[in-house]
Amino acid sequence: MIVIEDLRKNYGDRKVLDGVSFAMERRKITHILGTSGGGKSTLLKVMIGALKPDAGRIRYGDMDITNLQGRQLDPYRKKIGMLFQHGALINSLTVAENVGLPIREHTGLDDNIVKIMVKMKLEMVGLRDFEELYPAQLSGGMQKRVALARALALDPELVYFDEPTSGLDPIVASVITKLIADLNRLLGITCIVVTHAVEEAMRIADKIVILYRGKVLAQGTPGEIRESSDPLVQQFITGNPDGPISFRASSKDYREDLLIG
Amino acid sequence: MKDLFGYAGRKFILYLQDLSSLVYLFRETLQQSLVLLRDGKKLREAGILKQVDEIGTQSLPLVLSVSALLGIAITVLISFQLKDMGALSYIPGFVAVAVFREIGPLITAMIVAGRVGAAFTARIGTMKVSEEILALETMAINPVRFLVVQRFVALLLALPALTLAANFTSLLGSFVFSSTRLGIRADTYVREMLDVLAFKDIYSGVAKAAVFAVLIVMIGCYRGLVVEGGAEDVGRATMISVVSCTLAIILLDTVMTTAFYG
Repeated sequence: MIVIEDLRKNYGDRKVLDGVSFAMERRKITHILGTSGGGKSTLLKVMIGALKPDAGRIRYGDMDITNLQGRQLDPYRKKIGMLFQHGALINSLTVAENVGLPIREHTGLDDNIVKIMVKMKLEMVGLRDFEELYPAQLSGGMQKRVALARALALDPELVYFDEPTSGLDPIVASVITKLIADLNRLLGITCIVVTHAVEEAMRIADKIVILYRGKVLAQGTPGEIRESSDPLVQQFITGNPDGPISFRASSKDYREDLLIG
Repeated sequence: MKDLFGYAGRKFILYLQDLSSLVYLFRETLQQSLVLLRDGKKLREAGILKQVDEIGTQSLPLVLSVSALLGIAITVLISFQLKDMGALSYIPGFVAVAVFREIGPLITAMIVAGRVGAAFTARIGTMKVSEEILALETMAINPVRFLVVQRFVALLLALPALTLAANFTSLLGSFVFSSTRLGIRADTYVREMLDVLAFKDIYSGVAKAAVFAVLIVMIGCYRGLVVEGGAEDVGRATMISVVSCTLAIILLDTVMTTAFYG
């Protein structure tokens, strides 16, 4: 169980997270949806311990990870995996070295065993033949799959996904979506997916949380979200350009801004 | 006027922040170096020899050619006056002392700061921008141990060695020029040089090189680690890294020369 309580984070005057509270269940897939600039990335950074919130708490099981610093975070970070938006593979290492990196760093396993483990992880994402290539030699979709293999290297309890399908062609996007579903159903891994791909979320999520302007707009099962009577939620899931959510991000009055300049 | 003070004050505070972060990075690097040196398996994986090759061996052609030319240039410069006084035999001693104490360590460090320090900043800065550093942290891998330590150890080995090689090449340049163009006999040159050159001249130069190595690695890696933004910021960080390396090297060179010989 991951519990987020009244999380707040400001950048200057801008409230990026404005009292966000929700809970995510173990062994379930939770999708965190939101408009661009809605606070999704900030929330994710806070959840992996890369950013400290101004207020609020995050608990993972019986660990309070809110104010842990540096090495104190290691026990938590060894239990989680993270798939970065652009993969974030180490460019100077081959695919096999990238996937084997966390295994080599955190276990005293023999080289031959590490090699076998790397092969198994790469087989899970269907890229066993690409061990000796460098990340720059792979397509974007392949890089993401290698990054997923790396995130799974230490058999994490929980994997965070940052926009796992953005920038991919529809087939590769479905492959990744299916991989996420399989990880959860077959291996029981808790998956937390930050995305704006509504369709994908509706298909595989156990729970959906929608963030809007730094607050939780709605949360529930895909069915509950679809049935929601809130016009904001409806506009978001249907992707309607006209509705209560304006594409304009400026807070100043337009007329005043022009006249006073 | 008030603005000017405000500006200078803010800059000064930023400068102090950078300085304290650098000291913190240095301490962390020393700690992590000890951890690495105790762990044989990780030490082999760290690829220190590869780094020595990349930053040391591959800098050799540039460093050696510059030093040979400088050796000749210094000789030409001082022979101009000494010839009138009939004191050409002072050349070997003067060149040897100047090269070992000052010019060799300084020029080698400048070249390496431009070639290697800039590369550290660009490489680590690019990794920062593409979230590779964040990925390392998320995997509970210490970025300082993974990226800084092997560069630190490698340059600490490579720069003093490069400096010694540069010193001898400068002397060789001066020797060849003196014997072919100034008519100083080879045995006279060597004798005069050995008469003047003391062991302290050699080790003070090597000590300087070790300090410069620390400066180059720390400033180069620090500037890379604090990059935020995109490609443009990596470029700016690289420029700042080379400029601050150069300034820091000259500053500490003056301090150390004064301390050793002042």
